[in-house]
Amino acid sequence: MPAADRDVVVTGMGAVSAFGTGAGALWDGLAAGRCAIGPLRHPRAAELRIPIAAQVPDGFDPAGCIDERRLAMLDRTSQFALVAAAEAMAQSGLVSGASFAPERAAAIIGTGIGGETTHDEQCRRLYAEGATRVHPLTIVRLMTNAAASQVSIVHGIKGPSFVVASACASSNHAISQAVQLIRGGLADVVVTGGTEACLTYGSLRAWEAMRVAADDTCRPFSANRKGLVLGEGAAVFTLESRAHAAARGATVLARIAGFGMTADAGDIVAPDVDGAARAMLLAMADAGLAPGDVDYINAHGTGTPVNDAAETRAIRRSFGAGASRLAVSSTKSAHGHALGAAGALELVAVVGAMRHGIVPATLNLAVPDLECDLDYVAEGPRPMKVRAALSNSFAFGGLNAVLAVTAD
Amino acid sequence: MSDVPTHAAVRDAVFSIVAKQGKVEVSALTPASTLKDFGIASLTAIEILFEIEEKFDIDFPEQGADLDSGTLEQLVDAVAAAVAKKHAGAG
Repeated sequence: MPAADRDVVVTGMGAVSAFGTGAGALWDGLAAGRCAIGPLRHPRAAELRIPIAAQVPDGFDPAGCIDERRLAMLDRTSQFALVAAAEAMAQSGLVSGASFAPERAAAIIGTGIGGETTHDEQCRRLYAEGATRVHPLTIVRLMTNAAASQVSIVHGIKGPSFVVASACASSNHAISQAVQLIRGGLADVVVTGGTEACLTYGSLRAWEAMRVAADDTCRPFSANRKGLVLGEGAAVFTLESRAHAAARGATVLARIAGFGMTADAGDIVAPDVDGAARAMLLAMADAGLAPGDVDYINAHGTGTPVNDAAETRAIRRSFGAGASRLAVSSTKSAHGHALGAAGALELVAVVGAMRHGIVPATLNLAVPDLECDLDYVAEGPRPMKVRAALSNSFAFGGLNAVLAVTAD
Repeated sequence: MSDVPTHAAVRDAVFSIVAKQGKVEVSALTPASTLKDFGIASLTAIEILFEIEEKFDIDFPEQGADLDSGTLEQLVDAVAAAVAKKHAGAG
């Protein structure tokens, strides 16, 4: 447990998701129990076996908050990150050089793949169209670190800045690094979160070949679940030490009380109950929380047959008899699986649950599964006070990261 | 257009792919075997499907084959049906 003044608090958040631009749009969708999964919009959708996705609406317009010269340098991944970061910075009131010292600020962003749209487009030029030149900004657009670099440039952040990649746990690993920087005294302000935009033809074909995507919808913990539904988007938060936030009179939205990180060191894709359970236990221990203090778990809940059963067993192992009193929901059923952005979008759900007293539902859970025997909030968004919550992310590759969040 | 492969030819090809990918002897495979019987992991199973698709130039639907509990006989039947459908369509 860090000294109280190195406590890590959230003072701003922003998002781009299948519900549109804004953390408010995402939260309103979750609070209303709406599903943002729809038919896949892609020029070659008719050829693909994956018919659905949770895509950022076509009306997404980054030009409102990114100038034209910068826009030319950005892959869709960085566009999402910058739009979300602008919203978070505006809400927090943080301004480089005015309300924080640039050298005492960091930008730590998670992404699973990075500039996939750029990569796909430029490869098509070379291999399909026979071109011999690619766009001169290809490298600056597609480099995996681009999102963190752009956030640091736009917001005048001159401390530790980098991208964290751990597939579907990228956001939670990034946010964990942000917490460590603040606790360790290396930064007072960290702009952190995750971003992903990889619904390209090549990437969709790769997911098809893996055979883990559903063709109807995302049904976490339901006996008739058929797999995950790919999503995209970004969520970005401003984290500050409690002392820094208090000194400038900032509004505290929530507190990142702890984190737990583990590796399965087992199968490259099959989930591991032990690795997941250890991550939850470590997060609670780090936060100084007892299992009885936790009211809500935002589950990894991908909707694949194996994840949801293994995660249920891991929750039972971590919480013992207390598991049955937890509200557990997978908001991937609403905003899709945004991979490297998943944990960040889900942190918007957790902060929203605490601030509004509503736990988002698990949508499309129609058929109970004997292997999934917890309270998944299947009836719809539930009015409920949330004192403390966990947010789970368990990545392909066996890399797990769990955040523990408290109201303040 | 080549002739439609016989059911026996499809079976031999499927068994050979399963044996190679699963690192088991072809002689150990029977129509009633499941991939689980040989401890074949899910990633290997999707490699098997990929190789079968490539070999016969067919597509399995995303949710088409129950590779964990389905038998090799069911797999062979599904491949044979997909191959027949493809040839009927091409004809």
